[in-house]
Amino acid sequence: MPDRSADLVFTNGRIYTLDRRRPWASAVAVKGGRIVAVGEGADVAALTGTATRVVDLKGAMMMPGIVDVHAHLMMGGQAELFELRFPPTASFDTLIARVGEAAAKAPEGSWIIGGQWGSDLLPKLNRLEALAVLDRVSQGRPVMLRDDTYHNRWVNSQALGLAGLSASSPDPEKGSIGRDPATGALTGMMIESAAGIVERTIAQSGHYTEEMDRAAMARSIATLNSYGVTAFLDAAAMQPILAALKGLDDRGELTAWSVSAMPAVEPSFMFGIAGDELIALREQYRGVHAKPDFVKIFLDGVPGARTAAFHEPYTKDPVLGCCFRGSTIVTVPELIRWVGKCEKLGLGVKIHCAGDAAVSQALDAIDVVRSFNGSTTVMHHIAHASYIAPDDIARFAELGVVADLSPFLWYPTSFLEGHKQTMGEARALRFWPNRDLLAAGALLAGGSDWPVMPNPDPWDGIEGLVTRRNPSGEFPGAALWPEQAIDVATALEIFTINSARAIGLADTVGSIEIGKSADLIVLDRNVLETPADDLADTKVLTTWFEGRVVYERA
Amino acid sequence: MSAPDPSSDAKIPVTVLTGFLGSGKTTVLNCLLRQPSLAGAAVIVNEFGAVGLDHLLIEASEEQFTLLDNGCICCTVRGDLVATLKELDAKSRAGETPPLSQVIIETTGLADPAPILHTLMAEAELMTRFRIGSVVTTVDAVNGAATLHRHPEAAKQVAVADRLLITKTDLVSNEALGDMLQQLEHLAPAVEQTIARNGEVDLDLLASLPADAADVTRIAGRLEAVAHHDHGCEPDCHHGHDHHQGTHHGIRTFSFVIDKPLEWGAFARWLDYVAALKGEDLLRFKGLVRTTDDPGRPLVLHGVQHVFHPPARLDRWPSADRRTRLVFIVRDIERETIARTLVKFAAIDAASLASPVLAAA
Repeated sequence: MPDRSADLVFTNGRIYTLDRRRPWASAVAVKGGRIVAVGEGADVAALTGTATRVVDLKGAMMMPGIVDVHAHLMMGGQAELFELRFPPTASFDTLIARVGEAAAKAPEGSWIIGGQWGSDLLPKLNRLEALAVLDRVSQGRPVMLRDDTYHNRWVNSQALGLAGLSASSPDPEKGSIGRDPATGALTGMMIESAAGIVERTIAQSGHYTEEMDRAAMARSIATLNSYGVTAFLDAAAMQPILAALKGLDDRGELTAWSVSAMPAVEPSFMFGIAGDELIALREQYRGVHAKPDFVKIFLDGVPGARTAAFHEPYTKDPVLGCCFRGSTIVTVPELIRWVGKCEKLGLGVKIHCAGDAAVSQALDAIDVVRSFNGSTTVMHHIAHASYIAPDDIARFAELGVVADLSPFLWYPTSFLEGHKQTMGEARALRFWPNRDLLAAGALLAGGSDWPVMPNPDPWDGIEGLVTRRNPSGEFPGAALWPEQAIDVATALEIFTINSARAIGLADTVGSIEIGKSADLIVLDRNVLETPADDLADTKVLTTWFEGRVVYERA
Repeated sequence: MSAPDPSSDAKIPVTVLTGFLGSGKTTVLNCLLRQPSLAGAAVIVNEFGAVGLDHLLIEASEEQFTLLDNGCICCTVRGDLVATLKELDAKSRAGETPPLSQVIIETTGLADPAPILHTLMAEAELMTRFRIGSVVTTVDAVNGAATLHRHPEAAKQVAVADRLLITKTDLVSNEALGDMLQQLEHLAPAVEQTIARNGEVDLDLLASLPADAADVTRIAGRLEAVAHHDHGCEPDCHHGHDHHQGTHHGIRTFSFVIDKPLEWGAFARWLDYVAALKGEDLLRFKGLVRTTDDPGRPLVLHGVQHVFHPPARLDRWPSADRRTRLVFIVRDIERETIARTLVKFAAIDAASLASPVLAAA
C-alpha cells in the first residue's frame, strides 16, 4: 500500500536510541518528518516502498539530534560572521597584535568588535598602561573586546568617547567602569551593566543591520546543525531574535526546534524591550518550531568579575575590601513574583545563578512557589548550576529544578584561573558537582552557552563531562574535581533526552522513538566505545532534521 | 475599650456601594440620600458606557454629586477616582462646597470592587484624607440566586462585602428568601444582612467603619461569629466544599485561630509571599494578630487581593480573647495551602495553628 510506505528508511546502523526501553536498533523508518518504526531490518522492510529512500548506514552510529539547553544564537552568528576572534587563552600581546591587524584592514571610523579575552587577564587590562597600548594599535578606530563570560568589555579611548564617557561619568546601576586608583582616569574596563553603555552605542550607530541579524541567525543555526544540534533554547531572546526565528520558521528555513527565553529585564549585552512588554508579544512569534516558552532572569553576574553572589567572601580586593560576597540583583520576593507569574502563563523560568548564594536564593524562591502552588509541569532551570552549596544539591530534585549545565567549563579553563584569583584556589575548584547532582536525582541538561564557548560543539562538552580534563590539550595533566566525572552514556542523555525534557519538548525530540521528530545524526565513530579522551574528536557526518538532510560533512 | 484614633476619625469615610446589574443599587442610593445623616455626602457614580443614565434617576442636589462617565471602574477609572476624590476634598476645604462628611461610590453592575479598594488603600495622598468605610453589596432576592450562579463577578461582589443589602424581598416568598439568605451565608459567612422592603432601606452607612475601635470590635465579633459558625456546621459543612464550588465559582471562607504570639517579621514575609503568588485569588483577608514584640496590643490587618492596608496597632485587645484570628475569603485556594505555608514560612508552630472548631473544642 503506497500510503503505508515510509519516506525514508535507515538500515544497517548502530542506532543508539536514548530510549531506555530499547537502547539499540539497526533500522529506523521516517514518514512525514516523524519516526514511524524503530527496530531491525525486518521491521522496516514492510514500510519500504518503491518511493522510499533507503539509506544504508553501513554500520555507522546514529543517535538522536543533540539538544542544547543554553545558547545565544544571534551573538554566536554575529561573532562567527562579523567579529575578530581570539581564544580566551590568548596572551595580552597576542590580543593587541590581533587588534592591530584588524585596525589596519578596517575602514576609518568603523567599529572593531572582538572576543574573547580570558577573565584572568582582567587585572592586567584594567590599567591605564594597557589602555595606552590598545589605543596605539587601534589607529583611531573604536574597539570593543568582550571577555570569555560575555558580561564584561574592554574598550579603547575612541569607544569611550563615542559612548560619552569620561572620568566624571558615574558608575551605572549594577555595573562599574574601570578607573585608575590614583587619578580616576578610565581604563576602558566595562563591568556588567557598564558593558551595555558601549554595546548600546554600537547598536544605535546602526552597526548591526537587519540583514546582519538574519544572516547571523541563519549562520548560527547552520553552525549548530554541523555539530549535530537539532533543538536548542535561546537563553536571552530579544525581539530581533524572536522575529528572526519566527521569520525563518514561516519560510520553512528553521532547521532546528527553537525554544526561546525572553529576558525579564534588558540584559547587559542585548538591547530592546524586555519583561512584560516582550512577553506580551510571544504569541505573535510562535511558530511550528519556534516556541517562546521561557523567561530569563539574571540573578547575579560571574565569579571572575566578583559579581556572582556567594555565601563566602571573595579574596581581598583593593576596592571591594576583605569581605565582599557579591550580591543578587533580584530580591527573593521579586523572584517569587516572577516565577509565580510565569507559571500562570505556562512559561518556565531560566535563572542565571553563577554563585552558590544565587543558587540558594533561586531554590528558596522556587520552594516558596511550590509550597503555595503545588506541583507543576512547567520546568524551571538554574543556569549555570556550577558552584552549589552542599545542602542545596538535593533540593534540585526535591523541587523539580533543572540543572542547566553550561557552558562547558567542567575542566580546567581560563575561567577557572580567573575564579582562583577571586575565590582562592580551594573554593574555585569546587566547580560543577555533576556527579553529586546526578546521584541526588536532579535532571541535568547540557548546553554550550555559545558564544561564551567559542563554538557550540557538544562533543567537547561530552568529553569534558567524562574526563574533567580540557579536551583541547590546554592545561595538560590537570583535571577539575575528577570525582565529579560521569560516564559517557549519562553524558549522552544529558545532551539529548534530558535537555529535551528540560525545554518541554520531550514528546518531540531527544530520543529515537515512534512519533518523535526524525532528528537524527550519523557519527564517524561509536562514541560508546571511543576512548574518553577522544570523544571531542567525534565528527557529525550527517544531520537530519524532520527527515531532511540539513548538514553533511564535506 | 480603646479610644478612637483621632487621626483616622478625621478622615472621610468612603463607602463602596456595589451589586449586580438590576439589583437595585440606584433605588437604594435614592433612598439613602433622603436620610438626614447623609447631608454632606458626595456621591460618585461610575457609569458603564459613554452616556450617564443612572444619575438622572438620582434625586440629589448638584453639589452632592459627581459623575464619572468614562466607563468601567474596574479597569479604567482608578486614576480618575483619585482625581475626583482629591477634587471633592479640595473644594470642600476651600469652602466651595459644604463640608464633606462621607463619600459613596456607586459602581457599575459589572465592576470588581477590589481595584476601588486598592485605590483607597494604596494612594498615599488619599490615605491621609480618606479611609475605607464599608463595602455594601446589593443582592436582588428575585434574580440573586441565578445571578450568583451564573456570574463570577456577582459572587465576588458578595464575597468581599462588609454588609449585604437584600432588595426586592417583597416580590418573593419567605421560603425563597430564606434559601437565598442561606446561600449568601455560605458565600459570605457572618456578614451582616439587611433586608430592604418596598424600596425602603434602614441602613446607617456610618455604623461600621473599619478604622475605628468600634469596628475592630466588630471585626473581632465577626471572627468569633465565623468561629461559631464553622463549629456549628461540622462535620458535614457545606462551606467551600465541592458541592458549592460550582455554585460559587470556587469562592470559600475559612479562618484560623493561633494560640501563640507571632513573629511579625516572619508573618509579614509570609504575607508578601501570599500576595505575590495568590493575590488574585485572595479576595479579602482580615486579621487580628498578637505579635511577640507587643502581645498586649494587637495588629489589625486588612487585605484585598494583592494589596494590604498598612497594619494598624490597637492600644488594647477589644475583648478577653487574645488569640490571633485570621479570616480568608478566597477563590480556589485550599485551606491546607494556607496552613502548610503558614507553618513553613511564617514560623508558626503547627500545633498552635487551629481551626476555630478545634480551638473551641
